[in-house]
Amino acid sequence: MSPSERAIVRERRIKLIFFLGSLILLFLVITQVQNMLISFLFAFVSYYLLSPAVDIIERRGFSRTLATVIPFLFAALVVGVCAIIFSPMLVNQLQTLQSNFPKYLYAANYFLENLESQIGSLMQNVYPINIKGTIQPQIMGWATAFFQKLPEFISQSFTILFLAPFLTFFMLTDGRDFSRKLLSFVPNNFFELTLNLNHQINTQMGGFIRARLIESIVVGLIIWVGLLILDFPYALILALFAGLLNVIPYVGPVLGALPALLISFASGGNSAEILWIISIYGLAQVIDTVVLVPFLVAKIVDLHPVTVVLAIIIGSQLMGILGMIICIPVVSALKVTFIALYKHFTDFRT
Amino acid sequence: MNLLWENLFRTNSKEKSLAQKLKQNVLFSDLSISEMKLVEKIVNVRTYRPSEHIFRQGEVGVGMYIIAKGCVNIYVEEIVPTTGETKSALVTQLKEGDFFGDLALVEANSRRSATAIAHDECTLIGFFKPDLIEVTQRNPTAGVKILMRLGEVLGTRLIETTTKITSLKKEKATT
Repeated sequence: MSPSERAIVRERRIKLIFFLGSLILLFLVITQVQNMLISFLFAFVSYYLLSPAVDIIERRGFSRTLATVIPFLFAALVVGVCAIIFSPMLVNQLQTLQSNFPKYLYAANYFLENLESQIGSLMQNVYPINIKGTIQPQIMGWATAFFQKLPEFISQSFTILFLAPFLTFFMLTDGRDFSRKLLSFVPNNFFELTLNLNHQINTQMGGFIRARLIESIVVGLIIWVGLLILDFPYALILALFAGLLNVIPYVGPVLGALPALLISFASGGNSAEILWIISIYGLAQVIDTVVLVPFLVAKIVDLHPVTVVLAIIIGSQLMGILGMIICIPVVSALKVTFIALYKHFTDFRT
Repeated sequence: MNLLWENLFRTNSKEKSLAQKLKQNVLFSDLSISEMKLVEKIVNVRTYRPSEHIFRQGEVGVGMYIIAKGCVNIYVEEIVPTTGETKSALVTQLKEGDFFGDLALVEANSRRSATAIAHDECTLIGFFKPDLIEVTQRNPTAGVKILMRLGEVLGTRLIETTTKITSLKKEKATT
């Protein structure tokens, strides 16, 4: 190796170390500093949601900062108005749910016992099963943790409420400059590949997050209106819960419908009411699957159903419900990265 | 440095030269001052050591390079059918102000048709497909101006290639 080649290799190594070091440092800050991960997730979602509006305003000749301030203030106004309208309703429903919770827990217990005995008689006791023993402690754990951690969660929310908009604002104004600075550390031999990967992942994430958000809002709205027409209690909480869990493929819609069914069961709802609830949740899913997914999501993330299920299982084991929600975008970003790297290293000459 | 004689009020001399370099390039020659400022923020300035590969033939390519400083050698690699060995031939040497790799800006799944190697210490301005998309999204007028010029460049290349092929065919027919 000639001295000039040695100098090239040395420079590339140094740049690579700096680039990977910066990425690792950023990853550590996001995952290790308290409230940072959730704040970053909210900031990312808000960034992808607001960036098309910022681009449109910038196209009209406004500076990037001013083009960011306008949709930012509009979004703050919408969130503020929604908070004023819905927070009293939400707090009231949460308080009622908390006081009625033992009743629902008892109903869930009874339901599990019934299910266990029915399955047991079906299997002629050949293979003894213990659904209640397996699921009940978990449900109890989740429920107790939810209400115990609610005050802590609310205090954390205030930190996130300050941090997430702050991060979003700077992502919108300086995000591109920041990623360009980070890309300047990339060695020359990987530069085009990294730049293109960054662009592909960014485009895919933007499309995916916007599509999922529209899906969740539509599903949540259908369920909210349906439950309101049915005069079912906790309509807002149940719709928010179903909308949030709808981002988890396959499992989310089922998990989202369970609380409504359990509440109906515990309140002594008749079979007609249960049927109506199933119909409302079913209708939301049909509209989602038939209308929204083919137009919004399918073209953005092309993952095999087995990959999706595996990703959800791994996500749930690593980070619980949060892991289930973020696993699909993470896996699709990894897929894009692997394909690009594979092409770069193997599919060299055509 | 002599502070008495040094021009302390020279601002952004580096950026100024970058703007000038861009303005000299046919793709950006139609841009207004404000449009040029946006492009300046978006392009990627890269430095290369002598003999360093800028890209290799067959690699995925996503954009073009403008030579801001130095010279770049373009090689075409061919496999000799008899021996099976790869032989590279110097096609051209590009100098300051020249640009190359522009086809990758518009071609889907573009592959580099030649290898580019820095002849000496080089500074290149990289303008890639994601950058072109960003310009088009943030300032469509600037995007259209660049695309029109790009179309002109590619059209000229096509005419030149067609003329060359026609003359070669004529030569072959006469012999």
